[in-house]
Amino acid sequence: MKSLCLPATLDALEEIGKYIVEAAKNADLDAKAAYGLRLAVDEIATNIITHGYKEAGKIGDVAVSGVLTDSSLTIVLEDTGIPFDPMSHNLPGDDYLSLPLEERPIGGLGIFLVLKGVHAFNYEHVDGRNRNIFVMNRPVGTPE
Amino acid sequence: MIIETKVEGANVIATVSGDIDGKTAPQVQSELLAALQAGNRLLVDMNGVSYLSSAGLRMLLLLYRQVASKKGKVVLVSVSEEIRDTMSMTGFINFFTLAETREAGLAALA
Repeated sequence: MKSLCLPATLDALEEIGKYIVEAAKNADLDAKAAYGLRLAVDEIATNIITHGYKEAGKIGDVAVSGVLTDSSLTIVLEDTGIPFDPMSHNLPGDDYLSLPLEERPIGGLGIFLVLKGVHAFNYEHVDGRNRNIFVMNRPVGTPE
Repeated sequence: MIIETKVEGANVIATVSGDIDGKTAPQVQSELLAALQAGNRLLVDMNGVSYLSSAGLRMLLLLYRQVASKKGKVVLVSVSEEIRDTMSMTGFINFFTLAETREAGLAALA
């Protein structure tokens, strides 16, 4: 699939969303799987743009690409913002999720939704670039 | 993103259309919080919303707190199945009243 490179501003979210919707359609993902993937990629892209670039006083790009095989769809987000491993975040546990909304700290849900939305998620930092990798299994028996 | 608000008595009726993400959630949040100056019962018609990220959940959290502090109520109308799933898995769904139609939403608000 053709990759897409966008200036890392919040305006990129809409374009990335369209890219994922299209990729999910090409991969024959069902509606729930497609939505989960879009949500996962959008959460990470938002973090990259907001924390990796803006709050760090940096400007740059975010690139999205996709690889489709018979068995899976892999989406990769790449950026040159500050190194940030989303998995280093503390995930909200059951304690958090059962707290009344009045008592919840704001935030912390993004990564939770990432891990709920995809079949596999990976982060690596290679040659000064953050790579966030999202993998969805394709439905079995998908005709080519 | 289209946001319309109107006030009917103590009811604030909002209609939101578009994706609620990291870019648009702050805008929706500020308009709805401003509208809540006029009442403590909020109906948000989300028929035109097909996507809501954690930024949208954060917005719902702030709206809920604002309304709860004024002993009011939030009713969400026409919430898509995927958004309901997101609200369920994060435990948000228990704090909001969901209605299928605007009429049912208004009845639930009373």
